[in-house]
Amino acid sequence: MSRWRYFLKRVLLMVPVTITGMTIVFVVIRLGPIDPAAAIVGMNNPEGIARIREQLGLTQPLWQQYIEFMVDLLTFDLGQSWVIARGTPAYDLILIYAPRTIWLGVWSVLIAVVVGIPLGFYAGLNPNTGGDYFASFGGIVWRAMPNFWLAIILVAVLSQSQELLGFSWESWIVETDIVTPPDLAFFTEPMGLLTNTSAWTNELIAALKAVAPAALVLGSASMGNEMRIGRTAVLETINSNYVETARAKGVPERAIVWKHVFRNALIPLVPIITGEAFLLIGGSVVVEVVFAINGLGYLFYTAIQNADLPLVGSITFIFILVLVATNILQDFLYTLIDPRIGYE
Amino acid sequence: MSTSSNDVESIGNEIEDAEDVPLTGRIAARPRPATVWLVGVLLLVAVEFGALLGLIFELLLTIAGLLPGDPAAGLLAGAASVAAEIPTLLSRETIPNGGYFDGGAWVNTFLGLEPMYAWALRVVLVYAYTFVWLAWLWRGYQWFRTHYRQVDWTPRDDMVGRLQGHRWGQFGLIVVVGFLVFALFAPAVSPVTAQDNIYNPYGNQFQYYSETTDSVAQTSAGVANLQSTSKGIPGQNVGPLSYDDFGRFHPFGTLTTGKDLFTYMAYGARISLLIGLSTMLGAGGIALVLAMVTAYYKGLADLATVLASDSVQSLPFLLMAILATVIFRGTWLDSTYGGAPLLIVVFTFFYWPFLWRAVRGPAFQIAEQEWIDAAKSYGQKPSVIMRKHMIPYVVSYMLIYASLSLGGVIIAVAALSFLGLGISPPTPEWGRIIAAGQPYVASPSWHISLIPGIMITLVVTGFNAFGDGIRDAIDPQSGGSEDGAAAAAAGGGGG
Repeated sequence: MSRWRYFLKRVLLMVPVTITGMTIVFVVIRLGPIDPAAAIVGMNNPEGIARIREQLGLTQPLWQQYIEFMVDLLTFDLGQSWVIARGTPAYDLILIYAPRTIWLGVWSVLIAVVVGIPLGFYAGLNPNTGGDYFASFGGIVWRAMPNFWLAIILVAVLSQSQELLGFSWESWIVETDIVTPPDLAFFTEPMGLLTNTSAWTNELIAALKAVAPAALVLGSASMGNEMRIGRTAVLETINSNYVETARAKGVPERAIVWKHVFRNALIPLVPIITGEAFLLIGGSVVVEVVFAINGLGYLFYTAIQNADLPLVGSITFIFILVLVATNILQDFLYTLIDPRIGYE
Repeated sequence: MSTSSNDVESIGNEIEDAEDVPLTGRIAARPRPATVWLVGVLLLVAVEFGALLGLIFELLLTIAGLLPGDPAAGLLAGAASVAAEIPTLLSRETIPNGGYFDGGAWVNTFLGLEPMYAWALRVVLVYAYTFVWLAWLWRGYQWFRTHYRQVDWTPRDDMVGRLQGHRWGQFGLIVVVGFLVFALFAPAVSPVTAQDNIYNPYGNQFQYYSETTDSVAQTSAGVANLQSTSKGIPGQNVGPLSYDDFGRFHPFGTLTTGKDLFTYMAYGARISLLIGLSTMLGAGGIALVLAMVTAYYKGLADLATVLASDSVQSLPFLLMAILATVIFRGTWLDSTYGGAPLLIVVFTFFYWPFLWRAVRGPAFQIAEQEWIDAAKSYGQKPSVIMRKHMIPYVVSYMLIYASLSLGGVIIAVAALSFLGLGISPPTPEWGRIIAAGQPYVASPSWHISLIPGIMITLVVTGFNAFGDGIRDAIDPQSGGSEDGAAAAAAGGGGG
């Protein structure tokens, strides 16, 4: 089977996967013990329940509800919020909340990649030295720490930063709060970079500073993973036959490391980096709640707490799409960089 | 491997014995080591017999409580109280630490020791007891190898040998055993009982030395707790390794409610362990059956399982767990034992794809072997082939990933409880105290959040190290195939 046919097969598989995933969500929300209508208006209001049931289409037979649920979502008709922002289309809510989560996610991936991979490669190139042990052990412990715990510790340390670290985090570079949503307004006027440079960069730095601790926590597990995988991958390639051959041919050490070792060591890191999407979406709830970043995870959590089940269904659909897209991206990258794919 | 005289003997035995002498026959031929070992086991069981019976009855009571109509509850409760009467070596009755100071000396504590030392002695003995058990099991295995096993060498010996040189895996094993003991012996290692201190503090009177009246007074644990709270102010804080005003020793300090943190954590370890092990048994069982079926039949069965597992994995795990705990709030799944059954069901549903993915490769490799073909042509039934010829090779891989995923489950349970979902009060759970201590992290009451967090990190690291150790023991060449393991370890979904 050629590589691209293998990739195409994987992509086609994602269609039934998405549909089955959404079916599970439908079953939990519609067939679970909670009546979405009663959850919205409260148990003591029978007429209200009847009215909402009518509006939500819960009076129809189940198969019709199912088809409607699927068709609505697949055509991106995401419905509206019923409790937390009554009448607001879910689409608008997601557009308001998503940018903060994306901003947070981008930085947590970046921090993890920029710190984790070089540390892992360093440890792999200098195995069994003090630096290796320190980095390896640090990575293992760092990975085992629960996000929510790391988050509250970090908040506590930063709020006492003057006494503990010798500088005040809140007034460092630009004035920000510690637990605060980032203000991303500057993105709407990119021309500000040219017309009002200093104010614009200040806003950028403030937004970055607002999510930096949260991004560090959210990326912690992936950072540890990337370090470990990077280390073993480098160790494995550096002891492989083709590196021996290159060395015997007299290829300079620099070229061996950069051309033959690092490039191949990156292959096993691909699923770790794409797998971060899972950690980010799962962790976003906890981290956004602790750091008061009102992004999608926070919206999801509030929607669930207030029994806004139609909104919960729509947000979950978006999350499923993101995860499925990440899976496709991972297969795409694999197909692109690893010629062994499809020959198993 | 063993001394030469042993070798000669065992070879002699082998020649003497026919090919297939059953184990009982081999023991009958040389009964001494087996008898000595069995006597040792009986002794070890005997000193803790009461506690063992108590644990069994408690488990039966919990199971009976899940069934409708609560059958035999009275009978079991009666049996449990009888079991509690049997004297056990490692109990608070034998080595009490809950005495009071009468102005001159400690009364009612073990040998009149300070409560701190009495408690520490009990904990040390509990752990010593466990390690004696471990050493005795190891000795039993060695005796079995030298005296009773018919073959001189099996591949397992190499695995054991590799594990013997694997310090990191041994560290993991010690941490895992330490955690298991902490949970299993919760009533013995905690300075007070959960019933008296956490569930029903006002139903329990105790005596203490009152400084104001300079005499021995009586109060209930509930009242005393209210005056032993840790609220981050120097006057209102009972830190680690300190006594409160009532002469009660708190190894880890107290909670914001004045309850004992160590007791709370020991009982909290029980629920983490219960959920973790049940999830791994459930998910591991499903994954093993599916791995067998997909590897044996391939084709459509495999495609259907790939589809199902990919679908489950496309759902955001932690978010779906949050959704499930809210949707099923108030049902019997949620109201039993703080909601543990619900979490077990949810986690099993989300973890089997990880475990199945992990053993799918090894299972396919085994299914390709010639001996499977031979067994087929011999006319063996598929179920027998799977059980006898395939499962033994796959099960050790399962153990690796189960150990790595268990840490993820523990973190996820704690994360859900941290958010106020998951395990509901009054059942102790580590994540919930971390939330309770959140306002006090940078205050004198730092212990409330910090100690449980460090413990979670340690336990998760221990399970990871243990998994690494088994992996290297099973397959020393597998150093590079870590990606699946890392994904499984991170399967906590970012809790």
